[in-house]
Amino acid sequence: MSFVRSREFALALILAAMLLAAWRLDPRFVHPRAQMLLATHVWELAIVAVPMLLIVLSRGIDLSVGSTVALAGVCLGLAHERGAPPAVAILAALWVGAAAGALNGWCVARWGVHPLIATLATMAAYRGLAEGVTLARPISGYPEAIARWSQVPWPMTLFLLLAGAAAFVLARTVWGRWIVAVGYEERAARFAGIPVDRLKLALYTLSGTCCGLAAVLLVARNNTAKADMGMGLELEAITAVVLGGASIDGGKGKVSGLVLGLALIHFTREFVSWHWKRTELNLVVIGALLVAAVLLERALGSGKGSRRTS
Amino acid sequence: MKLVQVFALGVALFWAVGCGPSESAGGSEPKADAKVVVALLPKKKGVPYFTSCAEGAAEAAKELGIELIYDGPTSGDAAEAVKLVDQWTAQGVSAIAVSPNDPDVLGPAMKRARDQGIKVLTWDADAAPDAREFLVNQATPEEIGFGLVDAMAKDLGGDDATGEVAIVTAALTAANQNEWIKHIKTRLEKYPGLKLVATKPSNEDQKLAFSVTQDLMKAYPGLKGVFAISSVAFPGAAEAVKQAGKTGQVMVTGLSTPNDMRSYVEEGVVRSVILWDTRDLGYLTIQAAKALVDGTLKPGATRLKAGRLGEKQVSGDQVMLGGILVFTKENIGQYDF
Repeated sequence: MSFVRSREFALALILAAMLLAAWRLDPRFVHPRAQMLLATHVWELAIVAVPMLLIVLSRGIDLSVGSTVALAGVCLGLAHERGAPPAVAILAALWVGAAAGALNGWCVARWGVHPLIATLATMAAYRGLAEGVTLARPISGYPEAIARWSQVPWPMTLFLLLAGAAAFVLARTVWGRWIVAVGYEERAARFAGIPVDRLKLALYTLSGTCCGLAAVLLVARNNTAKADMGMGLELEAITAVVLGGASIDGGKGKVSGLVLGLALIHFTREFVSWHWKRTELNLVVIGALLVAAVLLERALGSGKGSRRTS
Repeated sequence: MKLVQVFALGVALFWAVGCGPSESAGGSEPKADAKVVVALLPKKKGVPYFTSCAEGAAEAAKELGIELIYDGPTSGDAAEAVKLVDQWTAQGVSAIAVSPNDPDVLGPAMKRARDQGIKVLTWDADAAPDAREFLVNQATPEEIGFGLVDAMAKDLGGDDATGEVAIVTAALTAANQNEWIKHIKTRLEKYPGLKLVATKPSNEDQKLAFSVTQDLMKAYPGLKGVFAISSVAFPGAAEAVKQAGKTGQVMVTGLSTPNDMRSYVEEGVVRSVILWDTRDLGYLTIQAAKALVDGTLKPGATRLKAGRLGEKQVSGDQVMLGGILVFTKENIGQYDF
C-alpha cells in the first residue's frame, strides 16, 4: 500500500481532480488540440526544473536560472547577429550557460558561499550583464535552422531525455547516491570521501547548461532574444520541485514527483488565465501552489520522522 | 488516514473549483459559443493609457452585444503576450486585436491564430502585414506632427510666435518619432518666427531627457520651446524646465496621458498635451473587430461604420481613427486616465 500513501499518488489525484474541474468549467480546455497548443509553453520550465531538482537534492538552490536563460539567450542572439552559423550560435548559448553555471558552482563549492546568496548575486549580475551587452534591445529574425528547435517534438524529446537521464543517475549510479548523501549530511559525505566540491561544481554547471538549452528553445519559439526573457523562471522551477515532493532541506525527492509537479503547475496556470482571463492571478496561483506544497508535505510526511535537525 | 486526507483534499478541490462558478456560468454556456468573442491585448495591462482604451472597448462591446476579453501581460513581457494569444487561439475566439509589444515575438502567434480561422487585427501599434488583416491606426504621423507644432505656436503667442525651439526625441532610430519629426519640420515652415535649433535623443530614459533639456537651455539661452516627443522624455523635459525656474519662459509640449502630465499642466510648465482619444481608439478597435468577423470589413473597403463615431475612413489595410486631442489646463480635469 506504500504507493497509495506516496506523494506521487496524492499529486496524481489532485491533478485528476483539477482536470475534472477544468473540464466541468470549460470542456474546451481539456480538448487535445487546445492542450497541444498550450503545451508549447511549459518545456523551458521543465528543462530548467530537472537540474534544479538535483541541486535541491544536494541541499542547494539555484536562483539564477531565469537570468542565466536571459544571458545565454542574448549571447545566441548576438552571435547570430554577428553572422555566426546557427550551430555555432546554439553552442555559444550552451557554453555561456555552462560557464555561468560553473561560476555559481565555483562560488558555492570552492568559496563556500551559501547557494542562496551566491545565486541571488548572480541572478542580479547575469540579468544586468544580459541587459548591458544588448543595451536592452531585442534581437530578432532567426533562420529555420534555429526556429525548428521549438517545434514538435524537439522540446518534449529533450525534456524526456533529460528527465530519464536524471532518474537513471539517481536510481542506478553512484553519483546519484552521492547527491542524496551530500544533501542529507554534507559533513558525513565529506568524511566518507565523496568528492563534494566536484559534485557541486558539476551540478551547477549542469543547471547552467540546461538554462542554455532552455534559452535556445525560448529564442527559437519567440524568434527574439531579449534581456528580460526567463523572468520569474526560478520561482516556477523551485515551486515545481517542491510541489513534486522534494525537500528543500535536501536528500529527498524524485523525478516522477517533479514531472507531476510540473504538470500541476502547468495546467493550473494555463487554466487560471484561460478561465478567469486575468494574467495577474498567475503569480498568486504559483505562490498558493508553493504554500499548498508545503502543507501537503506536512500532511503526508511528518509522521515518518523524516524531519532532521541541522 | 493519510489517504483519507488526500482524498478529502481532492474532493474539496473538485467541488470548490468545479461546482461553484459553473452553476452561474452554466446557463450562459451554450449562448457563449454562438456569441462573438473579441480578445483585446494591450502592450501592458494596468497602464492608464491602455486602461482607458479598454473602457472604450467595453463600451463598444456592450453596444454590439459581444463578449470582450481584455487581458495582457502585467510585466509588458511579449512572451507572456504570446501565451495569451495562444490561449485565445485554443479557445477559438472570433477575433483577436493585438497591440504588439514586439512584433517579431507576437507575429508567429498571430499567424497561428489566423491559421485557425481567427480574425486578427492590430491596434495602437502594428505588426508585420501578413500577421494581421487590419491595423486600427490612432492618428497619422502628419496629424501628430502638425498638432505638436500648432500647439507650441499657440502656447508661444499664435501665428507670429517667435523663438528657438528644440526636439527631445526617444532614440534617434525610433521609427514613429522620426516620422513625427519629419512632419514637425514641415509644419514649422508655416511659422517663420520659430526656429528649430537642435534634435537630441533621450533613449527612453527620463533622467537623460532631464539632463538633455538642461543642456539645451544652457546652450541656447533664447530657447522658448521644447518638443518632448516620447512619453518618457516629456515628464523629464518638463521637470528640467520647472527646476530651472523657467516655468512660463520655456514651453514644453509632447505626447502623453493627462494623468502623467496633470501636475505640470496645473503648474503651468506645460500648456498643451497632445494625444488621440484613447477611449475612442478602444471603441473603434472593437467596432472594427466585429465588422471583420461579420464580413462587413474586408480588403478593399474604404469606409467603416463605427457606432457613435460615425463613418471612419479605411485606407488600404488601415482603419483610421483620426483627430487628435489637446489637453490644456481648461479641459484636463475632464479626463482621468
